[in-house]
Amino acid sequence: MVVVQRKELTLAERLYLPEVLRGLSLTFRKFFEKPITRQYPEQPLPTDEVTRGQPRLVVKDDGNIACVSCGMCEIACPAYAITIDGGETDRMIEREPKKFEIDMLRCILCGFCEEACPKDAIFMSNELELADYTRAGLVYDIEKLKRPKSALQKRIDYVYRLNNRWRSKQ
Amino acid sequence: MEDFVKELPVWVLWVAKVAIIFGGLVATAALMSLAERKVSAWMQYRHGPNRVGPFGLLQPLADGIKFIFKEELIPAGANKFLFRLAPALAAIPAMMTIAVIPIGTIQIGETKIPFSIAQVDLGIMYMLALGGLSVYGAILGGWASNSKYSLLGGLRASAQMISYELTLILSILVVVALSGSLDLGAIVEAQRVNGLWNVFTPFGALAFVLFTIASFAETNRHPFDFAECEPELVGGFHTEYSAMRFALFFLGEYCAMTVMACLNTTLFFGGPSVPFWANAPWYVGILAFLIKAGFFLFLFIWVRWTLPRFRFDQLMRLGWKVALPIALANLLVVGAWVAFSTKGS
Amino acid sequence: MSSILFYILALVALLGAAGVILAKSPMGSVISLLGTFFALAVIYLLAGFQFLAAAQILVYAGAILVLFLFVIMLLNLGAMGSRFELSFAPLQGGRARLAGAIAVALALVGLIAAQRTTLAATPATAPDAKAIDGLEGIALELFGRYSLPFQAVSVLLLATMVAVIVLAKRQRAGEHGEEPR
Repeated sequence: MVVVQRKELTLAERLYLPEVLRGLSLTFRKFFEKPITRQYPEQPLPTDEVTRGQPRLVVKDDGNIACVSCGMCEIACPAYAITIDGGETDRMIEREPKKFEIDMLRCILCGFCEEACPKDAIFMSNELELADYTRAGLVYDIEKLKRPKSALQKRIDYVYRLNNRWRSKQ
Repeated sequence: MEDFVKELPVWVLWVAKVAIIFGGLVATAALMSLAERKVSAWMQYRHGPNRVGPFGLLQPLADGIKFIFKEELIPAGANKFLFRLAPALAAIPAMMTIAVIPIGTIQIGETKIPFSIAQVDLGIMYMLALGGLSVYGAILGGWASNSKYSLLGGLRASAQMISYELTLILSILVVVALSGSLDLGAIVEAQRVNGLWNVFTPFGALAFVLFTIASFAETNRHPFDFAECEPELVGGFHTEYSAMRFALFFLGEYCAMTVMACLNTTLFFGGPSVPFWANAPWYVGILAFLIKAGFFLFLFIWVRWTLPRFRFDQLMRLGWKVALPIALANLLVVGAWVAFSTKGS
Repeated sequence: MSSILFYILALVALLGAAGVILAKSPMGSVISLLGTFFALAVIYLLAGFQFLAAAQILVYAGAILVLFLFVIMLLNLGAMGSRFELSFAPLQGGRARLAGAIAVALALVGLIAAQRTTLAATPATAPDAKAIDGLEGIALELFGRYSLPFQAVSVLLLATMVAVIVLAKRQRAGEHGEEPR
């Protein structure tokens, strides 16, 4: 059994008014201190290469995406967010996706697609904001997923670094 | 300018004064809803509303538009007549009481115009009578909503307001005894003539503390806001209200606060008088009044974001067993002092 | 102008008074009574008695009726329904008629008395309306000429209050079988 020892109140504490004044002075001092709130849309959270944001397709320097529609990411995706329809192309890689959709409402930002991809075609960007007026608008197609390589370069380097470390320990 | 003012019909001045003072009151109430959120934010290391207009200054406008366009709900089984009447009863008496507050004197050339809607001999009686009515809004609104939370809120409001009205009146009577008049203008004048604000006299200081405590209870403000105690009663007496009717309750509360702040200024802090500057120009006087009243409005918010809510039995004990006896004794001593000192002179 | 206003206010006061008796729910009665008090206060104002009007609202509307409301809400005397309903049941039956007759008789006596005193009052003895209206006039009358009745009423009220507290305390002690704290 816990016995709570009540503190004997002093006269000033029992009168309450001095304590009220003490409290008021405290809040008055806090009144002038700087707010610690982050003003979100203007001051977004800092992101870096470790940030695992929404997956994006890398656009290579020649203007094409690296994806060969092998379907590895589609299989790896635990949320069944990725849908790929492959087709033939005249380019060297012979296959490219005719349709590549990620349902951002299903995506859980786990990064499995990034790990699964054999062609370094999909990477997790640092983009985190997701808003639209319709559900259909949040199913991103190729055009919406495309990002230039330069925008994702830091993440690409990071993933390579990570993988090299892992390999060296084998 | 002076001749022009002199030749104006009386009713023009009246209409102008009514428009300025009531408009000012409602604007103050609206700004208070912003100030409440801003001050609370600053005391908690936050920014507060800052999206609408510069520094969020247009927030009250946005709130008002929102209130107008929201759906008005009337709960099933509610008494429709009383349900509709209650918000008006909460807002109107609170707004009417500003009429007798002497905010100062406007001077154009040699013409002096008292800057208050009405100069009534029984100004304090008028204020107390109308102020006593503001409790009806809470009670009837709570009762007519046909909801247990509203009913409990209304019950608490009525018990609390009746209890603290006694302390309020008794502490006002101390000032009345010191000044010898029920006219608020005369009370201000007495303080100016004595060269001493009532708060700096021993009895006045005690009465001021009691009055301030009672005014917090009368306006249902923290730490005595039992009528709308959120953790227990959802929203208290206005749980079932929405849209503009809810806004009227809100407006009534802030108007009552503003009037209480003005009354506190008038009774204990010499109204528009400026310390150490007896011949201050009239606009300085009005500015002084606004600053003093503004401080008490700030105090309302300041206390709200500092103190936790009392328990209801603590409130009643404080009201009946502490505040009321002290107020009574204070009045008795003041009465004796005034009686004997005037007899001697 | 003021006499027209007076008749309108008198009508409101009478309708309110009728509403007090006829309203089906106690809440309706209280609201009607509130209307009556207001009409009376404005009539006082019309007659030039500012203090009386303010006191009427302060004491009756602001305090006593609120207590009534408090009690009604505490006792939960039935739902009011969604609007006012009148019931003429109180006007029927022998007792109601008897009570009505007594009330009318008393009102008549009061009227006659008022008429006679106003007629009989000479300017020397009639209280000066202006003097009475002022706070000092009322105070002088209350604590001078009517000091004894005033004190007596105060003592009566005090006695009533003490009696009510004693009764309430005893009942509670009996209910719970323990000494009230």
